[in-house]
Amino acid sequence: MGILAVCLGGALAAWGLSRVGIHQGYEPVQPIAFPHKIHAGDNKIPCLYCHYAARTSRHAGIPPASVCMNCHSLVEKQTVEIEKLKEAVQDLRPIKWTKIHNLPDFVYFNHSQHVLSGVACQRCHGPVEQMERVKQFAPLTMGWCLDCHREHAHVPVAAVPRAISTVAKNFNPVAGLDCTSCHY
Amino acid sequence: MTPSTRAEGACKNRKEELVQIGQPDPRAYWKSLEQLHGGQKPSAEFAKGLPSAAVTRTDDTRRDFLSLMGFTVAAAGLAACRAPVQQAIPMLVGSDQIVPGVSSWYATTCGGCPSSCSLLVKQRDGRPIKIEGNDRSVLFGGGTCATGQATVLSLYDGERLRGPAWKGQSADWRQIDRHVSESLAAAERSNREIVLLSGTITSPSMLEIVTDWSKRYSNFRHVVYDAISLSAMRAANEKSFGRKLIPHYWFDKARVIVGIEADFLGTWLSPVEFARQYAASRKPENGSSLHVQFEPGLSVTGSNADVRVPVAPSNLGAVAVALLRRIAQKAGMAGFPEGPEPLADSKKLDAVSEELWRHRGASLVVSGVQDESVQVVVNALNAFLGNIGKTVDTARPSLQRSGDDAAMAELVERMNRGEVHTLMLHGVNPGYDYADAGRFLQGLEKVTLSISFSDRRDETSSHAHVICPDHHFLEAWGDAEPVESHFSLAQPLIAPLFNTRAAQESLLMWLGNDTSHYSYLRSFWQKNMFPHQKEAASFDAFWDRSLQDGVVDFPAKSAAPAASFHGDWRAAASGIIDRQKQQPASREDSYELHLYESVAMRDGRSANNPWLLELPDPITKVTWANFAAVSPQLAQRLSLSNGDVIALKTENARAELPVFIQPGQENRTIALAVGYGRKQVGKAGNNVGQNVYPLAQVSNGFRRLSALNIALEKTGRRVDLAGTQTHFSMEGRPIALETTLADLSKESAAGEEHKATPTLWTEQPQGEHSWGMSIDMNACTGCSACVIACQAENNVPVVGKDQVQRVRIMHWIRIDHYYRGSEDNPVSLHQPMMCQHCGHAPCETVCPVLATTTSSEGINQQVYNRCVGTRYCANNCPYKVRRFNWYNYTENPKFDFNMNSPLGRLVLNPDVVVRTRGVMEKCSLCVQRIQLAKNIALQGKRELVDGDIKSACQQSCPTQAIAFGDLKDPNSRVSQLMKSQRYYQVLEELGTRPNVGYLKKVRGSAVI
Repeated sequence: MGILAVCLGGALAAWGLSRVGIHQGYEPVQPIAFPHKIHAGDNKIPCLYCHYAARTSRHAGIPPASVCMNCHSLVEKQTVEIEKLKEAVQDLRPIKWTKIHNLPDFVYFNHSQHVLSGVACQRCHGPVEQMERVKQFAPLTMGWCLDCHREHAHVPVAAVPRAISTVAKNFNPVAGLDCTSCHY
Repeated sequence: MTPSTRAEGACKNRKEELVQIGQPDPRAYWKSLEQLHGGQKPSAEFAKGLPSAAVTRTDDTRRDFLSLMGFTVAAAGLAACRAPVQQAIPMLVGSDQIVPGVSSWYATTCGGCPSSCSLLVKQRDGRPIKIEGNDRSVLFGGGTCATGQATVLSLYDGERLRGPAWKGQSADWRQIDRHVSESLAAAERSNREIVLLSGTITSPSMLEIVTDWSKRYSNFRHVVYDAISLSAMRAANEKSFGRKLIPHYWFDKARVIVGIEADFLGTWLSPVEFARQYAASRKPENGSSLHVQFEPGLSVTGSNADVRVPVAPSNLGAVAVALLRRIAQKAGMAGFPEGPEPLADSKKLDAVSEELWRHRGASLVVSGVQDESVQVVVNALNAFLGNIGKTVDTARPSLQRSGDDAAMAELVERMNRGEVHTLMLHGVNPGYDYADAGRFLQGLEKVTLSISFSDRRDETSSHAHVICPDHHFLEAWGDAEPVESHFSLAQPLIAPLFNTRAAQESLLMWLGNDTSHYSYLRSFWQKNMFPHQKEAASFDAFWDRSLQDGVVDFPAKSAAPAASFHGDWRAAASGIIDRQKQQPASREDSYELHLYESVAMRDGRSANNPWLLELPDPITKVTWANFAAVSPQLAQRLSLSNGDVIALKTENARAELPVFIQPGQENRTIALAVGYGRKQVGKAGNNVGQNVYPLAQVSNGFRRLSALNIALEKTGRRVDLAGTQTHFSMEGRPIALETTLADLSKESAAGEEHKATPTLWTEQPQGEHSWGMSIDMNACTGCSACVIACQAENNVPVVGKDQVQRVRIMHWIRIDHYYRGSEDNPVSLHQPMMCQHCGHAPCETVCPVLATTTSSEGINQQVYNRCVGTRYCANNCPYKVRRFNWYNYTENPKFDFNMNSPLGRLVLNPDVVVRTRGVMEKCSLCVQRIQLAKNIALQGKRELVDGDIKSACQQSCPTQAIAFGDLKDPNSRVSQLMKSQRYYQVLEELGTRPNVGYLKKVRGSAVI
């Protein structure tokens, strides 16, 4: 009985340790309760309208408040949350968002490479357009990355819906499996 | 026998055995004198016996160990439960120029020295992080030097002043402007002088401001002072060509190059440009040029020469005269003064003059000797050889040095007589580097108002009344004209970090002109540059294009042909001969001094830059100090060994330095590097080495970088130098190979192609590309720009003197300096060495955790997060290129260099991870650049083409010795070079299949 308890305890501890550093489901409260559901879902604003940097940069980027104001200077509806945004712009006070998807420093992830290869945002971020408050959808572990990379190591990402139409017609990049694809 | 001495003995025996394998070959290279004389001594680290493991017994038991371990696991588990909350703060207003994570590049001009090279600077998220050469520049062609590469770190120097200061107290600009204006008015009334003392100014717009000053104030004077000046050459050229100038040289047009103490590949005048030209003239495919160098100490230039003759400083003039006598004879000029032969072997000079004469109009004699007569003789040589207007361009002179020693000496006297009311100091530090710094500082006290534009409280500015810190050049607008009618623009890469103000703006302000420096510069260009061009219709278009290109070239100002030589060469030559005769016969115990600029420190202005302090000197490989280089013969006679401190005395100065025994050093001459021994520069550079400027002697009003009749004394003290020359020995195996021009032409007939050794392993790599590199040892001069470029690109830490002594320097690329021949005057070879990216890498098979593997594209990849630090890989690497992180070098007060301060860390490249303690690292072939280029190709919907990717070392190389590309693309430059007759892979007999290959050094056919 005692031995069984020790084994069980050990197994639980090992499982627990193997989950260290994984924050799947992380859903922090943001300084402004920005609903992705209304923007990306109901109003069908393309992801890359706000996160335009994802096309060219390793960072998808949180849009500058000036991008929000492109619409909100015209949209008449006022809420407490929109008021917070407008105050920040008026006071020239940058908004401190809480980062949800955190990778360790020794991983290099490049958004543009994935976006341009035709990986849909939802593939990693989940159905953001249905989320009131965004949470971490995928485990973001190396194993999880490699599952997809192995699948597309020789086959280009064609089966999934393309995020944008700028992917070259005859240019079908395949996913790298080298350590230096992400670690340098 | 204690365990440690036993270990030392075993180690020594094994090394001797291995060295003997490589000994019988007379052409064999050697790296240290110990190795040459058989029996390599254990390296400095183990000189006192192998360090013991230093395990002190405590009463810790196994039980304690287990409980501690249990606690550690639990603590780690608990700590990991909650990750720290990270915040992301976007810009409030988006910019169309700055996308977070995307780098932009801006053209500017280097402010590291007056050579004023054109640069492209990488800016990432609003901060400059990497300096590269601007390949649109016709002068510099995209190369840089080590100092230039390191200037980006000086921007983030924590010792920079945060704002202006008035009499030691921080002040605001308005207050200072008021004080200065009042004082200037008083100066005008008093009719005492207002003086601007500056270093060489290559900026035409700044010179215009200086002109504005002389128009406004009748009592204004501008004095130019260079610590390393060429004023004797300027004076001689006034006598020879009627104009005070420094000619512009064309080394690439010369088939015979004779250098008389001028380190033009390392530090002299414009080394990046000259190295580029030199490499072009040395291509073996076109039949290499002949280079003869006469010099006292072994310089970078001397180490590249075909024939190098060690000559004492006092004898250099006589060598020039002896050459002129022979050339004058050939040219049929009569009346040459008789004199003794300077060299024991006069046939050498016969042969050199024969070669010079044979290549009339395509030869070049340069000299850096600060002596008017010698310079007139050199001018005569070039004139009789018909080189003026061909390899020596006097019509379009260089503006990179305009210091005037006589004017400076006169100013110091006037200051001491109290004739100077206001003194403004720009880009100078005479309190440190003036021959008689004490006298200068005395004079400074008698000046009513002294204003310094220095960026820190240094040896001079700390005595000034006002410090108005100037911007770093990466924060400032500006322009430069390094060579007449070749312009280079400078633009800011970052808003000023501190409350500094451009010196130009201060000068304009005090003139009562409150325009910004930017608008002044623009209108200057509109007035003076725009009318000379035809392409752009509007000034705005011209300005934008010029700013984008960084460089603008106009035809030479004067269409007049180069002034003909009319100097009195007979008088100059007889003057030199007379002086030689009057010189007292050198006594046994009197020596000569030769002062030189080292590649890392130059004149000492970047002395607080830890990258440069830790850069191994290209010749001696010593870091973190200057030293007294003595010849092996002298060392033997005085029984000196490396590190023995000697005292050197001139009439009015004395310095104590450790000895370094340098093969090839002239026997009676001791060589010392200037630029060290700063007292007030910052925590990294303070008191590193000794200041040897006071030892320089002044003759005929010119400060010479040499001194006669030096007394030498042993002090009995010892200092351990931190040199890397004997680190990473490859145990006498044939690593660096050479060939001769004659052999090359024979071999090309055979048409032998490079074949890989057979292997039982699977062929590598299997991917789409195979990244490889080729390094031309014939083009490499050893200048070490690549070392700093790699350090900046790859976040390589600085480890400090103590760690360097323990063979723990972290540079991913090192340049091995090999010697061949006798220790009195050996032949040199420089071989850049980094990870060879073996297809069948010995490091991979011994890694227990697969932290290092070959990628599908042929890169030997090191995965830091997988590495557990066994260091087996480093032990098994035949090239000794792996570096281990013995400590955390970031945020560690024990390594208080740039990576220990938030400001200094701004220079880090965000695309390369900062490694932690306990992991191995090495060259990655700049994989981040490969990935970036792939991504840019993807964005452009195209395939990668050759030239898309340049590694950091390749980009910085002024001689294009390094080529990088895809070995699977048969048309890539690197694949083409692989077919060269000179191509070989280091230790290919081991079957490592490296992706990095070398082109053999070519020795010219021995005509001399």
